[in-house]
Amino acid sequence: MRKHLLALGAVLALSPCLLAQKIGVINSMSGPEAPIGEHITNGIKLAEEDLKKKGINLQLVWEDDTGKPQISMSAMEKLATRDNVVGVVGPYTSACSNAVAKLAEKYRVPLLIPAAAKEEITRQGLKYVFRMNAPADKYASSLIDAASSLGKPKTIAFIYENTDFGTSTTKTAKEYVAKKGMQVVADEPYPKGAADYRSTLAKVKSKNPDLVFMVSYVADAILLMRQSKEVGLQPQAFLGAGAGFTTPEFAKERAISEDVISCTQWTGDVNWPGAKEFEARFKAKFGKEPTYHAACAYASMIIMAETAKKAGDRVKTRDALKAGKWNGVMGEVQFADYEGFTNQNNHQMLVQQIINGNYETVLPAKFATKKAVFPFPKWK
Amino acid sequence: MAVFLQSLISGVLIGGVYALIGIGLTLIFGVMRVVNFAHGDIMMVGMYLTYLLFTLMGIDPFVSVLISFPLMFLFGGFLQKVFINRVLNAVAQNQILLTIGLGLIMSNTVMLIFTSDYKILTTSYSSSTIQVGGGVSVSVPLLVSFLITAAITAALGWFLLKTDTGQAIRATAQDRDAAQLMGINVSRMSVIAFGLGAALAGTAGALISPTYYIFPQVGSTFTLKAFVITVLGGMGSVVGATLGGILIGVTESMSAVYISSGWKDVVVFVLFLLVLLFKPSGLMGKSRT
Amino acid sequence: MTKTILKAAIGLLFLAALLVIPRYVESPYALHMMILLFLSVSQGQSWNILGGYAGQYSVGHAAYFGVGAYTTMMLMYSRQVVPWVGVWVGVAIVIVVALVIGSICFRLRGPYFVLASIAVAEIMRLSAINLTTLTNGAEGILATEIPAFKIGGRVITDFLTKVPFYYIGLFLALFTIAITYWVQHSKLGYYFQAIREDQDAAHSLGIHITAYKNIGLVISAVLTSLAGAFYGIYVGFVDPPTVLGLDVSVQIMLICIIGGMGTIWGPVLGSLLLVPLSEALRSNMITEGLVKIGFVSADSRIGLFLKENLAHAHVLLYGILVVLVILFMPDGLMGFIKKLAPRRNREAV
Repeated sequence: MRKHLLALGAVLALSPCLLAQKIGVINSMSGPEAPIGEHITNGIKLAEEDLKKKGINLQLVWEDDTGKPQISMSAMEKLATRDNVVGVVGPYTSACSNAVAKLAEKYRVPLLIPAAAKEEITRQGLKYVFRMNAPADKYASSLIDAASSLGKPKTIAFIYENTDFGTSTTKTAKEYVAKKGMQVVADEPYPKGAADYRSTLAKVKSKNPDLVFMVSYVADAILLMRQSKEVGLQPQAFLGAGAGFTTPEFAKERAISEDVISCTQWTGDVNWPGAKEFEARFKAKFGKEPTYHAACAYASMIIMAETAKKAGDRVKTRDALKAGKWNGVMGEVQFADYEGFTNQNNHQMLVQQIINGNYETVLPAKFATKKAVFPFPKWK
Repeated sequence: MAVFLQSLISGVLIGGVYALIGIGLTLIFGVMRVVNFAHGDIMMVGMYLTYLLFTLMGIDPFVSVLISFPLMFLFGGFLQKVFINRVLNAVAQNQILLTIGLGLIMSNTVMLIFTSDYKILTTSYSSSTIQVGGGVSVSVPLLVSFLITAAITAALGWFLLKTDTGQAIRATAQDRDAAQLMGINVSRMSVIAFGLGAALAGTAGALISPTYYIFPQVGSTFTLKAFVITVLGGMGSVVGATLGGILIGVTESMSAVYISSGWKDVVVFVLFLLVLLFKPSGLMGKSRT
Repeated sequence: MTKTILKAAIGLLFLAALLVIPRYVESPYALHMMILLFLSVSQGQSWNILGGYAGQYSVGHAAYFGVGAYTTMMLMYSRQVVPWVGVWVGVAIVIVVALVIGSICFRLRGPYFVLASIAVAEIMRLSAINLTTLTNGAEGILATEIPAFKIGGRVITDFLTKVPFYYIGLFLALFTIAITYWVQHSKLGYYFQAIREDQDAAHSLGIHITAYKNIGLVISAVLTSLAGAFYGIYVGFVDPPTVLGLDVSVQIMLICIIGGMGTIWGPVLGSLLLVPLSEALRSNMITEGLVKIGFVSADSRIGLFLKENLAHAHVLLYGILVVLVILFMPDGLMGFIKKLAPRRNREAV
């Protein structure tokens, strides 16, 4: 059987025309992760359009993983062996990406993950797996560094959803604050969709933390901040780790979102080439502000398609991804090996704050558009 | 102390809304002996109705109850007549499966129409509070929804006790065959009961919308909660479901503080199993075997 | 008599075909679909023993599936225990868990039993999320490599292709079918059916109801946990929602109910329908097919609508299927087929 597989692989490798420009996309288009999946879909659609203008006609094979790892794996099996794609962009969630990464390596299909946060994905030494976004540890370190540079916080409380994303981000954050000598006074994982966080928040309030660090998707982010206001939780800063705290919906809730600090992979106002234009075009086409997921997906697809076009087959595409260097909406991109990571883009996270209802980059200084508001003003 | 009071108050208030969901379920079970696994999904439909009325016509969620209650009543009546009625004499398991199927249809149809985006209703009072002193605050929308719940429960009690239809429903719940022999139109009572159950679930959905969020899969959490509440109160007992709802609200909120937010649902389920084992008739239910 | 021989011959031919498929089918994707099919058959069949024959509708079988999957994966991940040993540890744990659950839930009947089974499975799922040191919490357990299977230093298989999984899956499916066959034709099966039809009557006939329910549960739970362990090793990743979620329980139940409860071939039929159907819907093959045969054009509004929405609609279709089955064929596909051919094979239950 293995001989057969190898033979099959050899035939496929020798016929680049067969493989040309068929690129797979695995994304959560339905299921609970679909709202963010939609941004990734739209980012890729915009990339498809731009590539067409450059004369690169893509044949995209779309696969919906419904947010479930085993379905994601089915999709990868199908793309790798039935559709014979030259490369794959996706999946969205950490759990799916983690499961699919192993298969990408097995079938030697270059996989470019646009926006999954779990660190381990690119820590297994997989040669065919690349990641565009900065992993979870960067969320924690960039936020906590920002807070430390703005004031002198000594205690921190963690409130996070008890999913893979929530727990793994918080885990690295806890390790990081331990190094910084901060004290963790509350550690509260909550189940997604719990109607009432008031009692949890009241408990956190009684510990009087300097920083409140939250990891949530958008609906819970709004609910948590509303109820924080209700119970009068008043730290020096609310830190939101990506996801729900970086969405336009959250910024729109001005009564509760003003002055919340969050970190993101990307914003529309950063001076990376094409970022502003991307934001404007995305808004015009889809009627929504792009999230960083959309930008990550856009950049990933552009890089994957251009590389695959030049390289031709899977192995050469992998080598070209490894060797290449790009500069686009996500700033400088290079898939490097460092600190135990393999093929990881060492992406610069941006720390932003909602000021007058807009996300303003406050750190690092060279990208800053406004000065940070610190400490968090008294609730009105 | 402030933490204790804060959790007690918000537990009681949120429990009021739970109670409304539980009452609907218990009514349906009482009259038809059908465990409605689509109950949370019916509530979800009510939430989307509220959302539509709010975004398209600017009708306040609390006011929209006046519109959604009758609409949801019709919806429930329709479900009963077209689907549930056909399995009234089937084994309990088939009834359960039918309602599971109906629930899947509802949540996935809503998903096709509205996508699985989380919808959040922002009203002018969404995060307004009353300070009661000692650092304890009460959420205004939650308080209002609790008061409306109390009013609806009282009205329902009056309806069941004092009106002819209400008495006929209670008679049907007590003994279906005897009620039929007494000349009560049992199948009509079933339609009314299911309609009322759906209307109550929909109303609960409307009342919770200003402080919560809406997505197509929101139902299953509430279905499970509704079961716990009705079993706790005694299947078929309206008073029991009211108390059960508040008890669950407080239990959740207290265990989030004194045990951990992660384990609070486990506490609720363990409580549920203990009641099932040691007092299967529930706190207020008469034992039926 | 000749009929029985004919049947056996067809069966053997079919079996032989299944055994040689991996020699001729090279597409890992096709093998993957077959493996999912085998998994589904064994899940449905395990549930069938308790739900179909003994009439105890558990909506909490995710508990056993998850414990099987988790135990094997946890042992492999943190203790380097090889999976073919870990599986049996899982089975031992599942027996204990099943007996505890049985002693709680079998005091209850009908809807109360259903609710209790859900509650227990939910407690398991929440515990898996919260007991992070044991289960790695919501992050789940990822096993990157499965050690090669050796007997006396000789490598039997190294699990690098799908072929070993194909045979394990096939064996598991056949094994569960065989157990069901045995249950149906033994005294146990008659007791189960007596309990299903009328508990009180069964009791008055001197059948120890609780004991037999527990036996049914243990058999069903052990088989489910084997399926769970197989799933875990095959996918290489388990986390609380994918192996312990409520929808896992519902899925297991649906395979059997749509196919036909209390029959040997029901779960097989159910799997043959549901597994390809959900894959075809998910991967948009149906739309592609319609486009290919010229039924709709890919760029027409209908074509685009189908492409956008059909993939999301597979759970909706499940819902519609369940409702239709309950209303119009309460005995599932098997019952429906039997109705079409009423006079043949009366003896085959």
